Amino acid sequence: MAVAAVHAGGIADHIHPEPQGFVRRYVFSLDHKIIGIQYIITAFVFFMLAGLLAEAIRTQLLNPGGGFVANGTYNEIYSIHGSTMVWLVTIPLLTGGFGNLVFPIMIGARDVAFPWLNMLSFWIFPVSGLMLFSSFLLGAPTAGWMEYPPVSLQGAAGTSMWCAAIFLVGVSSTMTGINFVVTILKMRAPGMTFTRMPLFVWGQFATAPLLMIATTALAAALAALFIERQFGVPFFDPAKGGSPVMWQHMFWFYSHPAVYIMILPAFGIISEVLPTFARKPIFGYKLIAFSSMSIALLGFMVWAHHMFTSGLAPFLQLPFMILTYVIGVPTGIKIFSWTATLFRGKIHYTTAMLFAIGFIALFTIGGITGIFLAAIPFDLHVHGTYFIVAHLHYVLVGGSLMGIFAGMYYWFPKMSGRLLNETLGKLHFWLFFIGFNLTFLPMHWLGMEGMPREVATYDPQFTFWNRFESFASYLMTFAILIFFFNAIWSIRNGKRAGANPWGARTLEWQIPSPPNYYNFKHVPTVYGLPYDFSTPLPYKGLDEELTDSPPVPAGAH
Amino acid sequence: MSSIEHQVPPVRLGRGFWAATAVLTVLAILAIVFWYAFPLERYLPAAIVTARQVDTLFRFMAAAGSALYIFVAGYLVYFAIAFRARRSDPPDAIGVQIHDNHKLEFWWTLIPTLFVILLSIVSVRIWYEIMLEPENGLVVEAIGHQFYFSFRYPQINGEVTDEMHLPLNEPVTLNLTAADVIHGFWVPAMRLKNDTVPGLVTTIRFTPRLAGRYPIICTQFCGVLHSTMNKQVLVIEDKASFERWYRGWQQKNAHASNALPAAGGQAVSLQGGNASAGQTLFAQKCSACHKVAPFDQKLVGPGLKAVLHDPAHPNLVDGKPATEQNVAAILQNGYTGSMGTMPNASANALSAQDIANLVTYLNSLK
Repeated sequence: MAVAAVHAGGIADHIHPEPQGFVRRYVFSLDHKIIGIQYIITAFVFFMLAGLLAEAIRTQLLNPGGGFVANGTYNEIYSIHGSTMVWLVTIPLLTGGFGNLVFPIMIGARDVAFPWLNMLSFWIFPVSGLMLFSSFLLGAPTAGWMEYPPVSLQGAAGTSMWCAAIFLVGVSSTMTGINFVVTILKMRAPGMTFTRMPLFVWGQFATAPLLMIATTALAAALAALFIERQFGVPFFDPAKGGSPVMWQHMFWFYSHPAVYIMILPAFGIISEVLPTFARKPIFGYKLIAFSSMSIALLGFMVWAHHMFTSGLAPFLQLPFMILTYVIGVPTGIKIFSWTATLFRGKIHYTTAMLFAIGFIALFTIGGITGIFLAAIPFDLHVHGTYFIVAHLHYVLVGGSLMGIFAGMYYWFPKMSGRLLNETLGKLHFWLFFIGFNLTFLPMHWLGMEGMPREVATYDPQFTFWNRFESFASYLMTFAILIFFFNAIWSIRNGKRAGANPWGARTLEWQIPSPPNYYNFKHVPTVYGLPYDFSTPLPYKGLDEELTDSPPVPAGAH
Repeated sequence: MSSIEHQVPPVRLGRGFWAATAVLTVLAILAIVFWYAFPLERYLPAAIVTARQVDTLFRFMAAAGSALYIFVAGYLVYFAIAFRARRSDPPDAIGVQIHDNHKLEFWWTLIPTLFVILLSIVSVRIWYEIMLEPENGLVVEAIGHQFYFSFRYPQINGEVTDEMHLPLNEPVTLNLTAADVIHGFWVPAMRLKNDTVPGLVTTIRFTPRLAGRYPIICTQFCGVLHSTMNKQVLVIEDKASFERWYRGWQQKNAHASNALPAAGGQAVSLQGGNASAGQTLFAQKCSACHKVAPFDQKLVGPGLKAVLHDPAHPNLVDGKPATEQNVAAILQNGYTGSMGTMPNASANALSAQDIANLVTYLNSLK
C-alpha cells in the first residue's frame, strides 16, 4: 500500500474489500460493472417484450382491415412498443448499461462518484418497467409514446399508470445523469485530460447533462397530465381553459434531446469500435468530441420542429427549421470522420466492426431524411405519416440499436470473460441488416403516398408493401433470436477471451476480463490519447503487464 | 498530446481512390437525374398550386441527399474492401496512423455549412409561397370530430358532413378547428396538412388547380377509430358543378339552426320537445358513448336508461339533482368528470331545439 500511494497522485490507494454474499454482490450491488450488467439484462428482457409487440403490430398490418387484434388493442400495443423501446430499452442500455459498464474504467476510476445513487437509479428502472407493462391490466394508453392530450385525457386508467411509470424512469435517468457528470468531472485518473478521454466517454459526457436537464421538463409534463387525469386540474383540456399545445412543447423539449440521449452514446461506441478494428487512430478526434457537445447544445433549440403542424405562429417556425439544418453539419462531420477512419486501415471484420459499419450506412439515411423533415414545406406533407416511422426507425434502430449490438459484441468479453460466437454473430448481422432495410425502406414511399401512422387499418392500395414489410420484419426477429441464443450460449460455452481479445487500447482492455471488483489496484497515469497503434500504450502504473493480448482480433477472418 | 502523433507519413490517395471517386461521381449524377426525371405526379397528383413547389423542394433534397449518400456509402464500401486485413499481412500489421487532416476537416465543415445556407434559402422561399397564398378567397371551416370532419360554408346553415367541395382555380382560406381532441387534416394530393386543435383556429390557404376526388386523412391519433377517419373526400370541380352542390346544401340545411347555444350561456327552453326526434338524435350523437341501459353499463359515459327516473342515482354525475334542466345544462355546457369528457352543445352541433328533443326523449325512458 505504501508503494502504491506513490502512483496514486492524490487518490488514495484505499481499496474496500469486495462484499460477500450473493445479494450484496449481484442483486443490491454497488459495483458499477454489475449495475451496468443488471441494466443490460433488464433492458434486453424489455427489448424482447417490445419486439413481440412490434411483431404483433406487423402481423395486424398484414391485411388492410387488420383483424389480428381489435383496433383498441392495437393502439395499446404500438403505444407500449414505442414507450418501451425509448424509455426501457434504448436509453437504459446506452446510459445506465454500457455507460456504467465501461466509462468509469475508461477514465481510470474505480467506480462512479455516487455508487448508492447508482444502485437506486437501477432499481427504479425495473420497477417502472413493470408498472408500464401492468398498465395493460387497466387499459393501456393508446395515443402513442407521445400521448398528446386531449385524447390521452380520454384514455383508460392505464394512461395514468403510464405517466407514473415514465415519471419514475425519468427520475432514474436524472440521477444517472448527475452521477455521470460528476464522475467524469472529478474522477479521471491522473493525466486523463479532457483531450485524452476516449470518445465513448465524450459521448457519455455530452449525454449526461441532457439526462439531467431535459428529463425534468418531461417530469413536469407527466406530473401535469397525471394531475389533470386524476384530479381534474385543467392544464391541457381546452374545454376548461387548458392548452393542449403546451403539452407538446413540454414533451418535445424533453423528447428532442432524448433523441440525442439515444444516439450520442451510440456515436461513442462506434468511435471506439472503428479504430480498434481498423488498427488506426480515429480520424479527427477533437472535431468528433466537439461535434458531440455541439449536437447536445443544439438539441435544446430545435424541439418545435416536431410541431410544424400544431398551429404555431408561422414566423416562429423558421428558426426551428434552420437550427435543425445546422445540426446536420456536426452530424455530417462525424460521419465523414468515421468513413475516413477506415482509409488506409487494416480492417478486421469482427461482428462488432460489421455492426459499426452498418451503423454508418443506416444512420446516414436517417440523418438525411431528418433534414427532409426539418424543411417545413415537406414536413407539412409527411408529418404524421409512415415517412416519419421510417425516419425514426432508421435513426433509432439503424443508429442506436446497431450501436448497441456493436457494443454488445465488443464488450461482451469484458462482461463475461468469454467471446460471443462470431459465426452466429455474422449471421445475426446480415439477417438483421437485410431484414431491417426491407422492413423500413418502403415506409418512406408509403408515407409520401398517403399512409398515416398509428393506424390499425389502412387503405387497401398499400397492401403489397405492408405485407412485404411484415414478412421482412419476421426476418429481423429471427436475427434477434439468433443473438439471444448466442448470448445465452456463450456465457458458458464461448471462447475464453483473456484481458484484451481485440488488441484494443483503451483502459478497460488493460485489466482482466471480467475486471476485479476495484478495477485498478493502482490508479494508472495517462500520457496520451488511446488511439495510436504505432506507439506503446500511453499508461503507466497499471497493476501488471498483461501479455495475453493477441495482435490479431479474435474472430477476425 | 505527444509530438509523435503528428509525424504522419505522407499519405497518397492512390489510383483506386480516384477510380472509386470517378464511379461515385457518375452514380451521383445519375441519382440527381433520376430525382429530377421521376414522375412524382403519376403517383400522387398535385391538386393545388403549391403542391408542385413542395415537389420541387423534395426533388432538390432527394437529389442532394442521394448524391451525398452515394459518396458516403460508396467510400465506406470501397475503403472496407480495399483496406481489409489480408491473410498475407503480418499479424501485428497496423494501418497508416493518420490522426487528422485540418485542410480536409475545414472543407467538410465548410461545404455542408454552405449547403445548409443554400437549403435554408430554397426552403424559406418555398415556405413563403405557401404562406403567401391570397387571403381574400372562399372561406371554409373544417372541424375535426371523433371520427369525421364536418365543414361549414358561408351562407349554408349548419354543417356539411359528407364531402368537402371546392371550386377549381379559386383561392381558398381553410380555417381548422376541432370539437373534441386534436386531429390532423391532411390531403396528400395537396402536400399540405395542419392539425385541428380544439380551442384554436389555424388557417391554411391554397388554390386548387386540378379537378378530382382526393382523400382527406386524419394524421393525429384521435381515439379508437382513428384509422377509419379517412373515408371523406375533397372534391375539386368546375365553378358550375360547385355552385350546384352549394345550392343543394343551402336548401337541404335551410331549416338547420346556425345559432348553436353557447356553453355557459342562457339556459335553453325545454318547451316543445319531441321525443321521437330526440330518439333519432340520440342514435346519431350520443350512442357512441352512452347506451340506453342502466347506469352501470358504461361505454365512455354512463348508461342513460332512466337517467331521470333512477332511485339508485338521484343525482347526475355533476352532483346536481336529476332534473330536466340539469340534464339540459350538461348537454349545453358539456361535462368533464372521472369517466372522461362529454363535449358541449357547440362541439356536438346541438341546437336549442335538439337539446329540448333529447331531454324529452330521455324523460320518456323509464
